[in-house]
Amino acid sequence: MIEKNATVVNKLGLHARAAAKLVSEASQYQAQMEIEKEGKRANAKSIMSIMMLAATHGTPVRLFTSGPDEEEAMQALVALFDSGFGEGAEPCP
Amino acid sequence: MPMIINGIGVSRGITQGWIHVLKRGETKIVKRDLAPDEIESEVERLNVALEESRKQLREVRDMVPEKMRQEVTGFLDAHLLMLDDAMLVDMPAEMIRNEACNAEWALESTLEQLVAVFESMEDAYLRTRQNDVQHVIRKVQENLTPSDSGEEAQDRERDLTGRIVVADDLTPADTVLIQHQNVAAFVTQFGSSMSHTAILARSLQIPAVVGLHDAGMLLEDGELVLIDGHGGTILCADDAGWLVDQYRGYQRAEQERVESLMALRDKPTITRDKQSVTLKCNIDLLEEIPHVHEVQAEGIGLYRTEFFYLDRPEGASADEQYEVYRDLVKALDGKPLTIRTLDLGADKEFDPDYEGAIAPNPALGLRAIRRSLQNKPVFMAQLRAILRASAHGPVHVMLPMLTNISELTQSLALVRDCQEELEGEGIPYDPEIKIGGMIEVPAAAISASVFARHLDFLSIGTNDLIQYTLAIDRVDDQVHYLFDPLHPAVLFLIHHTIEAGREAGKPVGMCGEMASNPRLTRLLVGLGLREFSTHPGSLLEIKQIINHVSYKELKNQCQEILACTHPEKIHDMVEALAQA
Repeated sequence: MIEKNATVVNKLGLHARAAAKLVSEASQYQAQMEIEKEGKRANAKSIMSIMMLAATHGTPVRLFTSGPDEEEAMQALVALFDSGFGEGAEPCP
Repeated sequence: MPMIINGIGVSRGITQGWIHVLKRGETKIVKRDLAPDEIESEVERLNVALEESRKQLREVRDMVPEKMRQEVTGFLDAHLLMLDDAMLVDMPAEMIRNEACNAEWALESTLEQLVAVFESMEDAYLRTRQNDVQHVIRKVQENLTPSDSGEEAQDRERDLTGRIVVADDLTPADTVLIQHQNVAAFVTQFGSSMSHTAILARSLQIPAVVGLHDAGMLLEDGELVLIDGHGGTILCADDAGWLVDQYRGYQRAEQERVESLMALRDKPTITRDKQSVTLKCNIDLLEEIPHVHEVQAEGIGLYRTEFFYLDRPEGASADEQYEVYRDLVKALDGKPLTIRTLDLGADKEFDPDYEGAIAPNPALGLRAIRRSLQNKPVFMAQLRAILRASAHGPVHVMLPMLTNISELTQSLALVRDCQEELEGEGIPYDPEIKIGGMIEVPAAAISASVFARHLDFLSIGTNDLIQYTLAIDRVDDQVHYLFDPLHPAVLFLIHHTIEAGREAGKPVGMCGEMASNPRLTRLLVGLGLREFSTHPGSLLEIKQIINHVSYKELKNQCQEILACTHPEKIHDMVEALAQA
């Protein structure tokens, strides 16, 4: 199991389109992938679960991956968060 | 009697068309109890409807034109993923089994539960994302109970050319489907500038007004209206002639805006309280000169020369460079050309073999003037070419990334050497050539008064100044979000540099991105900037702003901004200034 911190940097937070991007990427890995916000965990492969996290711009989250390809899965997750899910980063307040 | 209704304009464009109210099968969801032997077939009915919904969405996705695919399909992909999500698929199925109820009802209860969670969210935008869940569940419900009247199906087939579609809300799928029917514009009762309809309308380039409450009641099917997707206005009138006049009026207004900008071309750039401002352009190529003349810029404030070095570290020969500079000077017809000497290194690295290893921190490494001073033959070839070109008209030399005064004295000595060389060869040049420096390193900004004393002019390069002041590597995505042109320290350095130039009696210009942003024009004028070098496209808009402002007023407001230490508040104040 790998854990890492990340921040939601895109302006709109984890909304539907961003969540869709996250799920499509996550689904390519076998590892279990989870995102934790304030003690609440979401399955990175479930769009509903991610949207319900209500992770807004600037929210710090903790990422978890575990499974045979956990390294690659974590790298992909971190890259997605860093790129603001392809929507770019906004300065955080 | 003409009527004007206002909503939120979210997608630019003015058009005229007939209202087409979109009928939505508003079926009332009723709970129905099932006999035990009906349960499994009900779950199966749900699965069929889910599959049908997926199929429909995929079909819609395939209809999206290739060029706008990515932006538009993002929404549809999200909905497709929801249709596969355990939370949405298993919850209603379980409910059918546990409560022996019909699929419609199970979906409705699921929706209610999910919506409740969204409602409790603090973030306004994410809270509105319950719409996504609603859209998806409604779609499945529609597929469970095909609309009796078939009106909706008819709607899908109809040619909507010249129609303005009015709906409570449009799902991304609706929007794409309707666009396929050649609609002229969209109007929705709900939504904001960030809603799906808004984003999609913009990328499909169709005028749209959202947030028009009671749109369905105010606008009648078949009515001729005029819609302005920028101002958010809809004009209704029984009299088509009146409407056409209005439409022409709108078109005239837009044309006038462009013309009023063009009319400014030969006007001086001067504030209401008579402060003159010089507007120049940034260019890379000779081909851009016609644009410079079109907007009647007062010269070139930044001509970049990196391309001479892109495929060869030694750069183009002095002769080759001379010819390019000379052609530019001639094309400019007496307007000054500011040539920035080589600014390579760092993020613009061109030579993988150069000096072996790649520096771990190229932005802080051997670049720009540092590199030129370490490779004097290359630097002198460029200086010689610039000097020769100065015989044909006004040319300024601009040295990038000055940090130490010794870099300046070395450069000035090299210029003198080149001048003597040319003198000896009997080649003409301008002995009065102006030499300036870029202020883009905090050290240079802090000691701007020293540089101002030794140079003919200063030019603030905002992109690098921000990067170095805030210690942010511009090419590093991980810290890009920290890039803030309005950071108090950045504004302080800009103001300090302008003041230093004023005290020394030397002009200070700005050629970075900030100078081209009309939203920052008032701020920069208020900070005392009197020379902007912009993209040719934004020059006239900036001139229009400057001609409307009073420096004295702006100066006072900018003092408040300079005194403010909260970045967020500064953003608000600058925004308020821009909208003044």
